[in-house]
Amino acid sequence: MLGRTEFIQTISKALGRGAANPADTDIFTTSASPDQEAVLARIKTRSPAERKQLRGIIEQVAGPLHIDFHPEDNLQDIAGSIGRLIRDKDPEWGTEKSVVRWDHPLLSRLNLESLLELDGVPLHTTDSEAIDNATKVSATEQQVTVREKVEASFIGITSADYLVAATATLAMRSRPGHARSVSLVPAIHIVVVEEEKLLANLEELYTLLKWDPKEQALGLTNCLSLVSGPSKTGDIELIMVHGAHGPRELHLFIVAGKGE
Amino acid sequence: MSEITSAEYKKVAGHSIADPVLQSALESLQSRLGPATQNLYQNLPEGQELRKTAHGYRRKAIDNLDILLETLADNVHKNGGQVHFAATDEDAVDICLAIARTHNVKKVVKGKSMVTEEIGLNHALEEAGIDVAETDLGEFIIQLAGEKPTHIVAPAIHKTRQQIGRLFSEKLGTPYTEDPPTLTFDARKALRQKFFTADMGISGCNLACAETGHITTVSNEGNIRMSTTLPKVHVAFMGMERIVANLEEQQSLLRLMSMGAAGQQIGGYVSYIGGPAAEDHCDGPEAFHLIIVDNGRSKILADEEFREMLCCIRCGACLNVCPVYGKIGGHAYGSAYTGPVGAVVTPLLFGVNNAADLCTGETLCGACRQACPLEINLPRMLLALRAKLSEGDPKWEVQPKGKFEKLMFEAWQKIIQRRKVYNGFLKIGYVLQKILPGQDGMIRRLPFPFNGWTNKRNLKPLAAKTFMQRWKDRAGGKP
Amino acid sequence: MQKKDKVTLFVQCIVDTMYPEVAESMVDVLEGLGLDVDCPTEQTCCGQPAFNSGHQKVARAAAEKFITLFENSQTIVSPSGSCVNMVRNHYQDLFKDEPAMLARVKAIGERTFEFTEYIVDVLGVEDVGARFNGKVTYHASCHLNRFLDIDRQPRALLANISDMKLVEMKDADKCCGFGGTFAVKYSEISEALVEDKVNNIIASGADVVAGCDMGCLMNIEGMLSRKKSPVKVMHIAQLLAGKSYE
Repeated sequence: MLGRTEFIQTISKALGRGAANPADTDIFTTSASPDQEAVLARIKTRSPAERKQLRGIIEQVAGPLHIDFHPEDNLQDIAGSIGRLIRDKDPEWGTEKSVVRWDHPLLSRLNLESLLELDGVPLHTTDSEAIDNATKVSATEQQVTVREKVEASFIGITSADYLVAATATLAMRSRPGHARSVSLVPAIHIVVVEEEKLLANLEELYTLLKWDPKEQALGLTNCLSLVSGPSKTGDIELIMVHGAHGPRELHLFIVAGKGE
Repeated sequence: MSEITSAEYKKVAGHSIADPVLQSALESLQSRLGPATQNLYQNLPEGQELRKTAHGYRRKAIDNLDILLETLADNVHKNGGQVHFAATDEDAVDICLAIARTHNVKKVVKGKSMVTEEIGLNHALEEAGIDVAETDLGEFIIQLAGEKPTHIVAPAIHKTRQQIGRLFSEKLGTPYTEDPPTLTFDARKALRQKFFTADMGISGCNLACAETGHITTVSNEGNIRMSTTLPKVHVAFMGMERIVANLEEQQSLLRLMSMGAAGQQIGGYVSYIGGPAAEDHCDGPEAFHLIIVDNGRSKILADEEFREMLCCIRCGACLNVCPVYGKIGGHAYGSAYTGPVGAVVTPLLFGVNNAADLCTGETLCGACRQACPLEINLPRMLLALRAKLSEGDPKWEVQPKGKFEKLMFEAWQKIIQRRKVYNGFLKIGYVLQKILPGQDGMIRRLPFPFNGWTNKRNLKPLAAKTFMQRWKDRAGGKP
Repeated sequence: MQKKDKVTLFVQCIVDTMYPEVAESMVDVLEGLGLDVDCPTEQTCCGQPAFNSGHQKVARAAAEKFITLFENSQTIVSPSGSCVNMVRNHYQDLFKDEPAMLARVKAIGERTFEFTEYIVDVLGVEDVGARFNGKVTYHASCHLNRFLDIDRQPRALLANISDMKLVEMKDADKCCGFGGTFAVKYSEISEALVEDKVNNIIASGADVVAGCDMGCLMNIEGMLSRKKSPVKVMHIAQLLAGKSYE
């Protein structure tokens, strides 16, 4: 079996590498182009009114993508609406209800735990604090616990790093407390994002991820998920069915301003 | 290597044409997806130019493949993943089996991956006593039925809801239904347990990003996210050409791929995976292995005539417009790669003589090039393959094929070389055609080897006087 | 008197031997537009059937003959998109490794025009003053439409024919399944495709299917005739020459 060196040598040979045919020197971009700088500036200087416009675009594109866009825009109303979803929706498997959410400051501020609609339904958090206290729980044990909670839940609640208006695309990076499976395994995915996380299009998202110094420091992480709508399939006679493997429903709430 | 059955092209094509279920499925597929894709191209915010620009991105990536793969491998290592290089299909399978042994894997869930079909991975895993579940709904149906996919993106398009209903009730023990949502739910339920209990998830890679060290996977069902999030080991297979240099290029390419594949602005789920879950993350796999596969691709890379083929991102847009695919479906191509892309890739990967009918069995109408998000010139490469079949080619180990046809064309060339000879030939033809059966002034039956024409068609006979003769008469008559 | 522009006919072999009236109509239209028409009667075939089947040596011999015959012609006009595609694009593939020949075929390719392209793009004429009483549907041939990007031109010329009703068929730009030797070698696939095409033509309600390539039209006519359909095939030159049928 060939190793890496021989494998790459085969390719270099196929490419006819040599003094006459060196690799291009401009393959990787090392500084933002003027166009990209302009995109970054546009994002930074976006006014609240422009953000409201982006919210309007999402409202339009949500329908065709089968996303349930909810009009509530303050924490209290959003919490109430989530409470009603928990109360009114049926669990996908069995009869017991259970809900799981990310350990995320915005979601904590919703204070969902105090909702009357919960009515005894357990609300789990995929918290990151447990492992910080390494003496109590090991990382593996914590992962087992998170997995059990997620598998048992019919609703998963997350936020997102960004929300792209043109395609209603959520960008979520894996982080401590932000389990990837919360947006994936439960039948219903509820997302709450601040208006300031809205971007106009995918180009803005990619430009930000690539050139913004703060984003560069975090990087894409080991898993960046872009989610545009609930799970769907057309594999049987091209008939669109939602909820193939991921969530059947995606409920979207956008908090006005910074949600304070 | 998985066996190809491309030699059966004509036979299987005949069966497909005679299958009304398949015909209506193909018609429905092409009438929906073909125009949807074109419509998105027409409305690209960047304009049609984006497709040419994106072709350039791919071409540059291919021309610098050595550098990009080195960079990708270094970055994946930095992110805690392991990278393996497989020169052949056997190497790729062996690497995967060794990983499975190390982690004591008993059950595997798979996201759709063409390259694993190419190398015959499922069979090898099953031989090793490992349970393999395809999780894309279409692939799952095909696996239950023991069949082969007919379409790159919609593998089970040839099966009706009734057939799937019977298949599920037989194999899954669910009550018979022909309601697609219920059938989808039955599959969701059956596969959910597989996702929860699998020890290894296998995925393909749509397009890796060298500068960040991530692979990307795209799906609409969420099965690939499940396969790459829940099991403790994630193994990703990647054809060595499926890579691009940087994020900005990838943005354009993923969008174009989604347009070509499903008439979408962007696939429902796009995941960038750069390594195993970090220690302090609360889920994700413990181990990430990337297997980069050559298996004949470096040979394509070395030949300038076919290098363009490595730009292909396997979106399947060409299948959704190809008139021939629209009649014969995917099975006739006899390999994992079907349609116009398969007609070029299969001969190059599996041997030109083994897939000779794939090279010659198209009309060269150019619909594939028009539909390709990257405007890859498949007709040009089909012509190049045909030339190899005619003349033979030691570099590609092609034996000349169709010697009779070649002799006919050589004789034809002698005839057309001189108008006098040609006129004589036409005169004989004009006389002889009178003994052929006719209908309303047309020829109803032609002799071998032209008889194929007149199975269902007539042919206009040769005119009593050619235009050239009429022109001479006219010029002669001029004052 | 002003000297007339001169055009040289490059006649597709199918037209020359089976549909000579098409070339005659083309001559009528071109002369009607005030052109001096010339035709080298030594011409036979551009080599496309051989080229498409992979027999490049045969195709090269045909190309060399073509070059010898037409090298001194200032403007070459052909009633077939497919043949023009061969000369303009594929001759360059045949001689790609021979710079001297490549320059010659490039130059000749630039002077070779498809009939409707020549009238609309070169002469700037979209109305030739033709009249036709009937319902016509247009088949957009693949090589013409996709490889030469000629679609607007024939449609503009058709739209300006007096008294004629133009109806659009379903999938007008879809391949008819001809494909040269493909139609014989893979006759079952070819038949299935031309069957769809013919059904779409009949469903359009047209009396005539018109096109710019007798290769496709010969294929379509073959099935129309077998089905005993009253729909006729006509090259666009025949419509533009104002030759009303029946």
